[in-house]
Amino acid sequence: MIDGQEVTVRKGTNVLEAAKLLGKDISHFCYHPGLSIAASCRQCLVEIEKAPKLTPSCQAIVADGMVVHTDSPRVQEARRQMLEFTLKNHPVDCPICDKAGECILQRHYMDHDHRLSRVDVPKVRKAKHKDIGREIVLDQERCILCSRCVRFCEEVPKTAELGMMFRGDREILDIDDNRRLDNPYSLNVVDICPVGALTSKDFRFKIRAWELHATATTCNGCATGCAIELHHKDTRAYRIVPRLDPDVNSYWMCDAGRMTYKELDPDLRIHHARVDGETAPLAEAIAEAARRLRGKRTAVVYSAVETTEANLALAEVAKVLDATEFLARRPEGEVDDLLQDADKNPNLRGARRAAPDASDHMDQLALEIAGAAYEAVVFLGGLAPLSDVARQRLSSLASVCITDRRSELSDACAIVLPAASWAEVVGSYVNRQNRLRVLRPAFPPLADRRHPADLLHHLAVALGATDVPDARAHARALAEAYESDELRALVDAAEDVRPPLLRWAHMRG
Amino acid sequence: MTIGVKEVKLERTAADQIFLPAILEGLVTTARHFFRNTFGKGQPGIDTIRYGEPDVRTEDYYPDRYRGVHRLMYREDGTVRCVACMCCSTVCPAKCIYIEAEDRHDDEEKAPRLFVIDELKCVVCGLCVEACPCDAIRMDTKTHMTAVETREEAVLSKIDLLKRGAPSVAVQGGLGPDYRKLQPDRDPRFPGA
Repeated sequence: MIDGQEVTVRKGTNVLEAAKLLGKDISHFCYHPGLSIAASCRQCLVEIEKAPKLTPSCQAIVADGMVVHTDSPRVQEARRQMLEFTLKNHPVDCPICDKAGECILQRHYMDHDHRLSRVDVPKVRKAKHKDIGREIVLDQERCILCSRCVRFCEEVPKTAELGMMFRGDREILDIDDNRRLDNPYSLNVVDICPVGALTSKDFRFKIRAWELHATATTCNGCATGCAIELHHKDTRAYRIVPRLDPDVNSYWMCDAGRMTYKELDPDLRIHHARVDGETAPLAEAIAEAARRLRGKRTAVVYSAVETTEANLALAEVAKVLDATEFLARRPEGEVDDLLQDADKNPNLRGARRAAPDASDHMDQLALEIAGAAYEAVVFLGGLAPLSDVARQRLSSLASVCITDRRSELSDACAIVLPAASWAEVVGSYVNRQNRLRVLRPAFPPLADRRHPADLLHHLAVALGATDVPDARAHARALAEAYESDELRALVDAAEDVRPPLLRWAHMRG
Repeated sequence: MTIGVKEVKLERTAADQIFLPAILEGLVTTARHFFRNTFGKGQPGIDTIRYGEPDVRTEDYYPDRYRGVHRLMYREDGTVRCVACMCCSTVCPAKCIYIEAEDRHDDEEKAPRLFVIDELKCVVCGLCVEACPCDAIRMDTKTHMTAVETREEAVLSKIDLLKRGAPSVAVQGGLGPDYRKLQPDRDPRFPGA
């Protein structure tokens, strides 16, 4: 029974989570559903009948017949006073703090205190902008000592770099002099920090949080396919943060995956089709590609990085051309037993679904191109690693590259078609657990860029194929095959939904 | 009630008809102001402000809250007070302020690398001054945006804005720890404090 409403929960649920089920957001700093419980911030105090004093709701397990008041005057007063203690030595340097706008302390102050400071003695000064790791800057003044980051480092990557030192108002969050916060999951502490004590060097001072839009999509860094939020303003992406998916990545993601937003840099992108180095209108470039490809001995190269839809569309083209099939993939990389997978391709299983028999011997393809075994090659993505000799041969062949950004391969190909990137399409990956992972468009593709599956659809039509599905039809078929309501809803949506501003999206951390 | 036509006879005297007396009357007023302002000693509530003449200071006539061209204030050490918090560019209804932040690598941490105001877009609402938490941007110059020959000249950079600036010694975060002595009745919610 919470505030007069009855609620039944699973055994072992705490009062805070039970209240959340009723839509009551009990303020808290130190509690995080993905970590152990410290009950040190005392911000989530509630009144439980028959308990002698106020109880932290994160620590109180729901029991039969329990009667809880989350909003009584006594509770409100306790929260306000706790908040005043928390703010006692907080520097309130919101104008230069990267967390401003998504700060939990700011939100709780507005909800529960909203009074002027009564502090008339100088605040305790501590170290500011302390460089503690590859990606992280620590500001000890802003820290409210909730110990979420300490618990994260102990419990998730199990490296335990951070610790609390000293006592009372001198207590600080710090790191050993001879250690650095360099574990591959270090940036998660920035997300879980309720204030701006731990900030990301990469994101530092780039943009204010309230200017960003948030799109829920999927990371393309490796075969895990973590659920992410892409934060962007207009058509420029600024950062990637993890999104809760209990089956795949829980609340976390790796640092390497966060940096994949950099490949969306508009300066690296291809905006218009190119034929023999000259910019050409898209329709003409597709017609020219079809004319050059018709009746040639062709190789097609699938990509384990592109969406399943694009690979399926390439399979249609390969069928028309009766082509030899290859599969390009990224080399293997860092691996651990948490989230990072050695297979750095987000969609190896999806590409295999489109092309079960494709060979992944890139050396063989390079040799055969150099040896003039093919008259034409179609590349999906700019990924295929070719030898210099093979790359030089490409310009004299009927070579078509469908890619979203410039690469050595796209520079070498005779015809380049501008594809939309993973942040601009409705698409899907199949991850290492054989789950369908959905890509949502964050912003519309500008200029001549199109969904790669649509480009290939037009190419197949220009080659004379009839009844070939387009990107939307492929996505709908995949949604049916994997019974994915998420993808189905996205495909059936009448128009593109504009992603919400971060300040209206669900509060992070 | 019936609707009818009512004829009104306009009474015009001969003096009205020939217009000359009215013209002379106007000329007398003009001449009076001309001689008084040109040869006289001037007077309170002067009728003509010679705006644009070099020796005329608009500061003397405009009220203190008049909103003129923006300026940026600086600290005592000469660096710009702005910390690139983007409050002004966020609140600006005309979206005429563009700021890019940079790291100062000292204790102040953050500063604007670029601070550009397009005075042609500005609607002179003053919200940027209201929003500024650092007393960095002000519109108290009491000068109009002067006429420019190209649009680029009306786009003011950080340097242009700082040239009009002055040192500000406002304390970050209000009056500081001594605020109770400085303003005893500041907050009625804490009467005894």
